[in-house]
Parts: sequence; C-alpha cells; structure tokens
Amino acid sequence: MIDDLYFIEKYAYQTSIVHRLDARIKLLIALAAIVAIVAVPYSTKVYELGAVLFALFIVLWAASRLPPTVYLKRLILILPFGIFLVGFQAFVKNPYYDVFHTIATLPLGIEIYAESVEFASILLVKFVISISFIILLSSTTKMQDMIEAAGRLGLPREFTLTLGMMVRYIFVFAEMFNRIRTAMATRCFDPLDRTLPYRYRLHQIGYTVGTIFIRSYEQGERTYTSMLCRGYGANAGLYVRKKPLRTQEIVFFAATLGFVVLSAVLIYVQP
Amino acid sequence: MHLLETRDLTHIYRGDVHALEGVNFAAERKSRIAVIGPNGAGKSTLFKHLNGILKPTSGEVLVRGEPITKVNQNEVRKFVGIVFQNPDDQIFSPTVEQDVAFGPINIGLDETTVAHRVEEALHLLGIEGLRERVPHHLSGGEKKRVAIAGILAMEPQVLVLDEPTAGLDPQGVADLVAFVNRLPEEYGMTVIFSTHHLDLVAEMADYVYVMDKGMIVGTGTVEEVFARPELLARTRLDVPPIPKLIRSLRENGVAIDMAYTYEDAKRSFLNAYARRG
Repeated sequence: MIDDLYFIEKYAYQTSIVHRLDARIKLLIALAAIVAIVAVPYSTKVYELGAVLFALFIVLWAASRLPPTVYLKRLILILPFGIFLVGFQAFVKNPYYDVFHTIATLPLGIEIYAESVEFASILLVKFVISISFIILLSSTTKMQDMIEAAGRLGLPREFTLTLGMMVRYIFVFAEMFNRIRTAMATRCFDPLDRTLPYRYRLHQIGYTVGTIFIRSYEQGERTYTSMLCRGYGANAGLYVRKKPLRTQEIVFFAATLGFVVLSAVLIYVQP
Repeated sequence: MHLLETRDLTHIYRGDVHALEGVNFAAERKSRIAVIGPNGAGKSTLFKHLNGILKPTSGEVLVRGEPITKVNQNEVRKFVGIVFQNPDDQIFSPTVEQDVAFGPINIGLDETTVAHRVEEALHLLGIEGLRERVPHHLSGGEKKRVAIAGILAMEPQVLVLDEPTAGLDPQGVADLVAFVNRLPEEYGMTVIFSTHHLDLVAEMADYVYVMDKGMIVGTGTVEEVFARPELLARTRLDVPPIPKLIRSLRENGVAIDMAYTYEDAKRSFLNAYARRG
C-alpha cells in the first residue's frame, strides 16, 4: 500500500501539451472553474454550466493523453466523501425551496422530497466538476511544480518552504516505515498473525508507532541543525526561479479563463 | 544441495528498475562469504531475497534445497537472520531486553525459552549491562550489538550482515570482526556480509562475490579476487593496501610471499627480512 506512494506522481511525469503547460496557468484555471461552479446560485442553471465546464474538462483531459481510467479511478476514490453528503440531502428539507413534495415515504417516518432530490443533484454536479478539475491538475502537474507555481503566484515563502519540505519528508518517512516493516518481518512479526496473542501484537504496533514519532522528531532536529549550518534564518526560503510565460500560454490562459467566466455569467443572466 | 542458493535470480522493482539480473549465489555450511560492490550494485536487494522479504521477479531462491513459500516463510526467517545496516530500523521496543526478545516471541517460544535465548544473545554480544536501557540512549556501536543480538536470539543458521561495520569506531570494527569470526567455528553458522571496507574482506571471508549493476561480475577466494585489480577498479573498488603493497614489491623484484591479512603480511615481511639477513 505504502509502496504506491512512490508512484503517486507516475501520471504527472508523463508528457503532453497539458503536462508542459505552466503550472501557474493550470492552477488558476482549475481555481477559476471551481469558483465559477460554486458561485452560481442553487438553481437548475448549475446543470448547464456543469455541462459546459465538464466539456472543457474532457477536452483538456483528452489533450493530456492520459487514459480515462486514471480519471475514473481517482474519482471513485474521492466520491464517497461527497456522495455521503449528497445522498443525505434527499431526505431532509433545505432553505432553498419553500414547498416540498413527497415522492416516497420510507419506514420510520423518513420521506424523500422531489425538491431535495433536485438540490442533491445540483450539489453532486458542483462536487463532480470541482473534483474533476482537481484531478486534472494533480494528474498533469508534479507536486514540486505546483509548489513553485504557488510561489510564483505570490504565496509567501514560509508556506512554499514548508510545503516543499512536507513533500520531501513524506517520502523519507514512507521509506523509514518500510525499513521498519522489513526489519519486523525478518524477525517473523506479522500484525495479522493469529498465532500471536492479540494484546502482544497491539503492543508491538504501538511501539512501532511510538518509534516513528520519536524518529520523526529526531529527524526534524537533525534537519533543522543541518539547515542552520547552511544559514537558515528569517530570510530563508525555497528557491523559485523566475520563469516568464510564453505567448501561447498567455493566449491559452486568457481564452480559457474568458470561456469559463463568460459561460458562467451568460448562464447566470439568461432568463 | 547448497545450504542457501539463488538460481538466475532476477528482481525488477516497480518502475522497471533492474536491481538484480541472473544472480547465481551459493552458500555452504560454516562458510564466510563477502559480497562486495559499489553503491547500488544490488547487494541489499540480494540479501532481502535470502529470507523472502522480496520475491524474485524470475529465478528462484532455495533454502536447504527448497523454494521459499508463504508456508515455510517463518521457518526460513528463523533459519536466515538479517542484520540491517541501520540499527535504528531494527530496534523499536522500549528496552534492549524487550527488543532482543521480539524475535523469539514471534516464533512462538515459551517464556522460559525466550528468557534463556535473550540471556544467551546478550551474553554472546557482551551487552548484559544494557538490558534495561532504552534504545535512544545507546551509542551507535551499542545499537549495532543490540541489533545483532536481536537476530542471534532467533538462533539462525545463516547470519546475513548488511554493511556491518558502517559507522563503527576502529575498536568497534575489530570487536565485530573477532565476534563474527567465532560464529562459524563455534556455532557452525554461515556468515554472509557486504562491506565497503575491503581490508576486512581478507580478515572476515573465505569466499568473495563481486557485484556490479545487479550482476555477479566476479567470484572466487580472497586470493583469486584480489589478484584481479582491473576487475576491482572497474567496479569502483580497489585492492586493499596490504596486498597492493606486496604486489608492487614483488613486481620490483623483492622476494616476498603474497599476503592478504595483517598477520600473514607480518609473517611475509619478517620472512623476507630474515632471508635477506
């Protein structure tokens, strides 16, 4: 399971016109799409904007030349979080409607309302569109590029440095965890081994967790010392090289941003 | 039948990293085997196959003539003990005693036997005094001993040491060499180790495997391997100072016997001087 961590960016390391696009542009377009879909008030107009933005997403995904299964897998992984909230809406009244029509009555006095189902589906559209753009961003942009882009867009260096170190040390700890797990297996310990007493196994797992905490604390101290040795102080920060945007990138960004904003506004103002 | 054997062992890590390719390795009872090679040669990957931590992509690993399966895996891990390079990865119990007891408990021994095994292992390493200590208060050398004791408490027949001398002070290295050399003689164990300290190879091994880029590029006795300086240079290694010096002397016409260990070299030099006088 933890081995998969090393391949989390497998798709981001491929190349295509979307992959090569400056991370700032991808970040802002994803943000624009999310803001647009979230900003349109609750009404059936969300369906229309949802369809337009999803079409944009499909075009961009196709241009990234990633298989559709990658998108579907990631979507299915995230969906449960939203589905629970969305599904729950069908059973309760909400402040967006005045009259509620019951379409089904379940035991224990639970009722399903037509208006609530509509509200839930609008919520689902907003959710899926937002998630789709996040998946597009994360599947085509390396973590390091994303942090640099945030830095170039003006995220304070305290944040970029911390985020950069987080990315680095996630992998250090995954490796540490793997080595401890290997060392345990060498001495025949398997947390799922039923021949060992339950309490004993629990104890050993507790020790492992404790050890990882102590070692991460120690790692932190060592890293901090080594940072001080290289002059870390109030002015330190992640080195973010200046990188001018190419003309095509600016044109693409302006066109896409215009498309998103215009479709949101037009759909909103239409009677 | 070999005690431990790999046949055409190939391991490809995810992401198509070829770590081992067609490795044929064999170890006999009571042998002392050194595996040398540059960083990234595949030494640690090979070691992790010897007790089934890693599964071969192709080829096979035979322990006492039998392949490693899910069923005999614990039996194999009792038989082949691996001490990893960084003792911190291995020691995670709150006290030294508990850590040494970890393996014996896992293989289902009763309390008396566990206590006995712990006693023996601590005694063997000379660390009875550390019994109640917590791991993060130990020095590097002490941690190394605790890590070895934790494996020896399982009473393996084969002891695999990954870079055993890394991070030890000279006295620590000397102690370790003396200790490891006792194991085949006194307990009939087989010792397999990797190292970058090539001068230790002659002191600690009878047979040498040279690895590079996931392949075995040379094998032989210590004499045979150190007689091939071009092989060692090609694999980013070097002939240790003692045989290198004696070889240069011989090439310059000095009548002196070849030697690889310090003791043998001392004898060669004394003999050479005696002959002169």
